[in-house]
Formats: sequence, C-alpha cells, structure tokens
Amino acid sequence: MATSLHSNQISAGQEHAPGGSQNPVLVTKDSYEELEEDLSLDVDQSRPRHASGVIAEIVESRQHSEVDSNQNNAAVDYPATDQQVKGITADTNHLSLGDGQLTDESEVFVEEEEQRLRSGSVLQTVEKTKPAVVEEDIHSAAWKKHKKHIFILSEAGKPIYSRYGNEDKLVTLMGVIQALMSFVQDDKDSLRSVVAGGHLIVFLLRQPLMLVAASSTGESQQQLFLQLRYMYNQILSVLTHTQLNRIFEQRRNYDLRRLLSGTERFLNSLADLMDSDPCFLLTAVRGLPLDNTVRDVIGQSMQSAKVKDLVFAILIADGQLVTLVHMKKYILHPADLHLVINLLKASTSFETSDSWVPLCLPNFDSSGYLYSHISYLDDSPACLLLMTVDQMAFKEMENCKQKILEKLKKHNCLAAIKDSVKRGSYTCQEVGISELRHFLYKNKSTAQFTAPSWGAPYSDPAEQERLFSLYRFVHQKVHNPARPLKILFYVGSHESALGWITSGFELYAVFSPLTTKQVAILAVNKILKWIKKEEERLFILNPPEY
Amino acid sequence: MSGSRVDLKVVLLGKEAGGKTSLVERYLHDRFHPNVPYQNTIGAAFGAKKVEVGGINVTMGIWDTAGSERYEAMSRIYYRSARAAIVCFDLTDDTSFDRAKFWVDELLKNEPDCKIYLTGTKYDLIEEEKRPRKVEETKVEEYADEIHCLVYETSSKTGQNIKELFYKIAQDYVEDPKNREPEVDEGIIDSSQPNTKPDKCSC
Repeated sequence: MATSLHSNQISAGQEHAPGGSQNPVLVTKDSYEELEEDLSLDVDQSRPRHASGVIAEIVESRQHSEVDSNQNNAAVDYPATDQQVKGITADTNHLSLGDGQLTDESEVFVEEEEQRLRSGSVLQTVEKTKPAVVEEDIHSAAWKKHKKHIFILSEAGKPIYSRYGNEDKLVTLMGVIQALMSFVQDDKDSLRSVVAGGHLIVFLLRQPLMLVAASSTGESQQQLFLQLRYMYNQILSVLTHTQLNRIFEQRRNYDLRRLLSGTERFLNSLADLMDSDPCFLLTAVRGLPLDNTVRDVIGQSMQSAKVKDLVFAILIADGQLVTLVHMKKYILHPADLHLVINLLKASTSFETSDSWVPLCLPNFDSSGYLYSHISYLDDSPACLLLMTVDQMAFKEMENCKQKILEKLKKHNCLAAIKDSVKRGSYTCQEVGISELRHFLYKNKSTAQFTAPSWGAPYSDPAEQERLFSLYRFVHQKVHNPARPLKILFYVGSHESALGWITSGFELYAVFSPLTTKQVAILAVNKILKWIKKEEERLFILNPPEY
Repeated sequence: MSGSRVDLKVVLLGKEAGGKTSLVERYLHDRFHPNVPYQNTIGAAFGAKKVEVGGINVTMGIWDTAGSERYEAMSRIYYRSARAAIVCFDLTDDTSFDRAKFWVDELLKNEPDCKIYLTGTKYDLIEEEKRPRKVEETKVEEYADEIHCLVYETSSKTGQNIKELFYKIAQDYVEDPKNREPEVDEGIIDSSQPNTKPDKCSC
C-alpha cells in the first residue's frame, strides 16, 4: 500500500533544512540527477565524460605563482573554474535512451516487498558462506544463489573481475556479455538492462570496459548503474583514465588483471560496502558526531599547517568524516571521498606506517594522481590524508602531519575523536520519538547525512539488511525518473516508512507497522527539529579553506 | 619515530608478494603474522629506526615499496636519493629473481651512489616446509660478484639475518668516508617554503 501526500501537509519547509550550509565542503550535485543527465544524452552528443585537467591546472598555477611572486592568487589567471567544476561533476556517458525501457515498472508494491523479503532471506544464508575456500564457478549452486553479481570485462571480452568465483572460469559468460553488448552497439544502440525472472541485469559501457550487474535484490536500474559507476571509478582511482585508455589503445587484448593485481580486494570491499552503507545510496558523507568547538579546533589546526600544493587535507575516523580542508577553488565530490573511505576500510596496512600513495579521484581529475600521505594519528582511529599534486612532497607532507598531530594532541582532539568513535552514533531513543525506529537524513546543500545507530529491532545483521533494502526501495520510489515523488508513505508487514524529498533535504524514516500517516508526519517534523538542535554536532558546517 | 631526522634512506624493491613488507615489519616491530592473508602494499610505506654503530647513532628511513607492476613508472620517486637498496627476491620463486635483476639495473642506471643488498626472502619455507629452492645460491653469488654487492638470505618468520642485514647497511654507511661530510640536502625540501621551526627532515 502506498500513499502519496501533498507537501503542504507537512509544515516544515525546505528553508529550514537542518544541517545546511552556504559553504559546502563537498560537491552537492545528486548522483541520480547526474545519472539522469548521463543517460539522457544521445549517442553522438559527446560531452567530456571525465573530469580532467584540474591537476595540470594546479601545477600550472603553481609554476605561474613561482614566476610571478607578486601574484598571490594565481587563480585569477584561470577563470575557467566554474566550468571546470561543472565538468567535474557532470560525469556523462554516451549511452542512448532506448525506446522501451526494459525494466518492469510494476506498481504492485506488495509483490515487490515479498520479493525483497525472499531475496533477503536467501542472502542471509549465502553471505555467511561467502569466504568459501572452495572456488565457485558458473555451475555451482552457491554461485547462482548470490544476490548480486558484478562482472567487469574489457571490450574484447577478456575477464577482469567477478565479485564471486574466479573470473577465469567465467570466460564463457564474459564472452556472452561481450557479444550481447557489442551486438546492440552495432546498431548504434546501447544495451541498458534485461529482466530475467527475478533478476535485473544492468549493462554499463565505459570504454574500454564493460561492467555488468546481475541482481535479485529488487534494486532499480539506476541504483545498479550507480554502483557500476562506483566500481568503474574504483578502477580509475588505481590506474587513471588516461593510463587505462592508453593501455587498451596499444593492445586491445590486454589482460588488465596484471595491472590491477591487488585491487580486487578494494573492488570486493566496495561491492560489500554498497550493500550495507547508505552513503552510496544517498551520495552523501557521514560526519563524525563531534562537539563543534572541537571540530573547529581540528579544522584550524589542519588549516594552519598548510603547505604549498596541498589540495585536500582530510581527517577520517571509522569511515566518517571528521573534517576536511580544501584549496579554495576545488571541492571534493562525495563519490571520491567514498573511494577514499573504502581504501581505508579495505586495507589495514596504513595503520602501521605512514604511506605515500598515488590516488586518482575520478570526479576531481581522472587524468592524473593526487599523491596522498596517509597516516593514522598516534594509534588513534583518526586517519589523516594529505593530498598534493607534487609527487616529491612526502617530506613536506610528513612535516605537515607532525605539526597537525602536535596541535591535535595539545588540544586533546584525538581523545575526543576516540571517544566519539567508541560511543558510536546516537541511538534512535535519544531523538525521543516513540514510534520512530530508524531514519536517514541527508542535507542536500552539504551532501552530508546522519543516521542513528542500528538499535533494536535492528541489532541483528539480517534485520539491518532488511531495513537497508526497505530504504533502497523507498529511495527508488521517490527517485523514479518516470514518476518522481516528493513524499511517500509506505506500509509494509514489518514496518512503515516515510520518504520525503525537498530541495533542501531527503529524509527517510521508519516506524512500527501500525503507525498512521498522521503520526508519521508529526514524527518527521520532530526529527527535523531534533536534527536542527544537534546540527552543529552532526554536520560539518564551517569547513576551513586554504 | 617518523618526523625525527633521517640520515640514511633505505628502499626495498622487488617483485610483488616477495616478502618486503614482512621483512620491514620484522625489523621495525619485531613481529610476523603467519596467518594473516597477503595484502599488497599500496604505493609505499615509510618507517624509521635508529641504530647505533660504534657509538654513532644512525637513523634509517625505510621505504617499503609496492611490488605491483602499476607502480613501476613512479618507483623513482621512492628510490630517489636512497643510499641503500634491499633488492628482494623470493627464494621459492625463480621469476622473482629476474625481477630483482630488473631493479638492480634500474638502480645502477639511476642511482649509482645507492649500495645494493641482494636479499633472498622466505628462507623458512625451504628450511621448515621443505619447499624446493628455486633460486640457487651459486647463481645469486655469481650475479652478486658481477654487480659487486652483498647477498643475504633472510626469513621474516624466524627473524634470521634481518637485524644483521640492517646493521650492515648502517655500518657501511657510517664507514663510508663520503658520509662523514656534513649532511647535504637531498633537494626534496623546498627552501622557499616558510618554516618557522628548525628544519626537520624525515626521509
């Protein structure tokens, strides 16, 4: 059962969007809007697909300022910034919109929920056996049962990655994928998706790579597209777009796994993270709850230790953003930050020593690397990343880190971060609304979100999984490109949910199943008030700049 | 340790999964994780350690580099101005020795002042697990004579030869008359950068 409401039934307006800021720390363009733009392009409409040239611009402006020392801000010379930034965010591709969408837009919610629940229960059993030592292949029952497969291959049909099983044993499958995609491509069309029973198979061509997701999770085509885009970006973050293209220009038949060795771990971790962390769904970043005075001190400490050519200084703890300092002209895209978070999540080797790592942030500049000094501060959960365009600047970054570390220690900031990580997110009870079980709130003007911890009844991972799939379902309904909704109230057998989108925020709240629409609406207004009260603790509102 | 002054830059080079990180881990932290699955190094990791040689304190800045092919193009930024290179190969993998030769050539060409220490890793696999040795001692010795470098066979699991290797590196550094001269700036630090504190260098 679904009911659409009129927005005037809800008193709070977008102007009150809690957690908003005039001074965003992240690019705020919604990935779904980006994707829409992306997919609505005609084949011959070729727009720059990848952000590039930003690093060159920084390096160039540096040289400029070296030559002309009077000129404090070399930025004046490069008025193309706005355009550049747009170029960065508007990652476009050349897929054409097929005449008939292949997705089944059935509106039978009950059936969908049933499917969701069914697939959820399958996942439970399968996921637990995942670290199987036995190698799965296309014929094994376990392999077929996985809820979401992801395959990556080259345009020549060479296997590059499979989420489950050894991609070598899936050569024939990769061949079929390649044949399907290039067959449709021959007619200047693009294969977008195929519905096969309970599976939705989505195809994304990002020359020279082909990416495919086959899912029975009930996720929408858009949601899967975005996930494939993340996988693609993960590969770019290792190789850069320039290098990837060059390799395949030289040898169409190249086995990319040679160059990607070791990257599988990050692709796997990213695929798992996308199935459990709402940040990808929301294209937003979660801030670590922290007293705003502490956060300000941290930001100032990071800012005051500035060195030349430092583009971004990022402090992350437990997958959450503590704060971020950026060069005035350049803003980080949340999707790039997600890749950074995934990098830290998937590798423990950063914990023991300071690292110097070339990283490509595809939405920032897909043509080159930012060199990143990565270190955990004093055995705390706080990880500092200092990103520069100068590959020889390890020493400067090391000094910069020392300065930051001294300041943070002096002001006891590391202890505060440690405490916050240990305490975890706030509980839903703290919000003080009895019917409320859980919620996700994203502020659109900052691309940040907040959510309570997984309290009862969602302490069990299987229940979290089910809740997450409910969020995805509501999200998909309100983001449906054919029929976007502002507000949706949905009653399921386990809980009811309210999804609400304004120009300022997105809110998804989950209640006990017998909660009425009116009660839910009263509750979301209370949530907004509560977030407003807590916004300085939950959101990064005044990020310093270099 | 990081952040303190570094006298001697040491770099580890070699084929991926050749045991470089384990070797550094054993030396810096005296530990070895037998059951942890392999994790490739990304980029390079930096660590520092102080050694005393004949009353002189030497701080080594140790660069543990990624063996993966994709970092090859940028390996120069890691071995640039290194005074010692531990070129690793896996005693149970003959292809890793070819890779070691590649790194030796690279170093001889670009960093003539860098002393090379050819190191066969994972000795315990041969000794304890009786895995076949794939790189013969004589072959290594011949090659080492040719390029005038020392050879070590180490085990990060048992710690065999690891302290000895690093001590020898520090000793060679101290005994080399070239290094008695006042410290030369390695040219990486940008002097134009405003620096209120006394200059500290860290690698």
